[in-house]
Amino acid sequence: MAVPVTIVDDSSVSRKMLIRALPPQWSIELTQAKNGEEALAAYRDGKAEVMFLDLTMPVMNGYQVLEQLQKEQFNTFVVVISADIQPKAQERVKKLGAIAFIKKPVKTSDIAKVLHEYGIVLSC
Amino acid sequence: MALSYPADKPSLMSIQPYTEDQSDALQEVVNIAMGQAGDSLARILGNFVALSVPRIRLATGKDVIKTVAGMVDNNAEISAIRQTFSNSLRGEAVVVFAQTGADDLADLMGYDTVLDSSAKQELLLEVGNLLVGTVITGIAETLETDLSFSAPSLVAKCTSLDQMLVAEQLSWSHALLMEVNFTVEGCGFKCHLLIFMAEETIDTLRGILDEFMDGI
Repeated sequence: MAVPVTIVDDSSVSRKMLIRALPPQWSIELTQAKNGEEALAAYRDGKAEVMFLDLTMPVMNGYQVLEQLQKEQFNTFVVVISADIQPKAQERVKKLGAIAFIKKPVKTSDIAKVLHEYGIVLSC
Repeated sequence: MALSYPADKPSLMSIQPYTEDQSDALQEVVNIAMGQAGDSLARILGNFVALSVPRIRLATGKDVIKTVAGMVDNNAEISAIRQTFSNSLRGEAVVVFAQTGADDLADLMGYDTVLDSSAKQELLLEVGNLLVGTVITGIAETLETDLSFSAPSLVAKCTSLDQMLVAEQLSWSHALLMEVNFTVEGCGFKCHLLIFMAEETIDTLRGILDEFMDGI
């Protein structure tokens, strides 16, 4: 069955780069969100078993999304995709419950590694 | 040395602005490069560096100074370093530091002696070079193009931003401006990285961005 996946980034180019980097054999039902509010709406609709989350966005940023998810059940795997690669940014999102931090520009191998590690995709 | 783009070229009435996709791609490319530069700076300072959202504007020659002044928003004295870049794209990168920039950096890096004037300059050149080098290299890598850059030189030492810009004699009819800034919270350190691309580069970059988008 297709896995509901939401990708969250205000940049359409960045979303395209991410979609292209997803493992091709991974069967997903894709939702795109342009900011944190849209991401939370998608999550509440059950469209985000896995969420790829940018940090710097208007309306509601990635950190705020993670904080809000913590207040709700947080029944999702959140992978942060960020251009800000400082160790402190990575620590902070992990503390907020993200399972992984992948730097931009994203590589398929980086995503495949995380999906495999968490048993989300068994072979890629 | 002043910025020296041909001033006598016939000035185009208007340069076609970038499409939404082209702007979006450029924004993302600059964002990625800035993230790498912020990481480099954070490592030498041992501090978290807050990154701005990159600002990108197409300005006509006479509006360049006004646009830059609006981005940097510093009425006090500044110091600045400058590097040129060339090959597929041609332009200038300028890093603007506040008057206390060198002292703030020395504090953050744990220097225990008071720096004299030449040591301060050296520090600004070194940090400016790190930021420019990382950003220009990052842009070139993401766009898969070749860019090389010159050694840094100090273009302003405790002068006003306006004076620096006037002295730089911006003489092209259009320029693409990009601004990002790096802030260390708690100590007041902030610097701006400005990239100026001259008019003939604006169209070259348009082509490079289209190719980049075709590849994704």
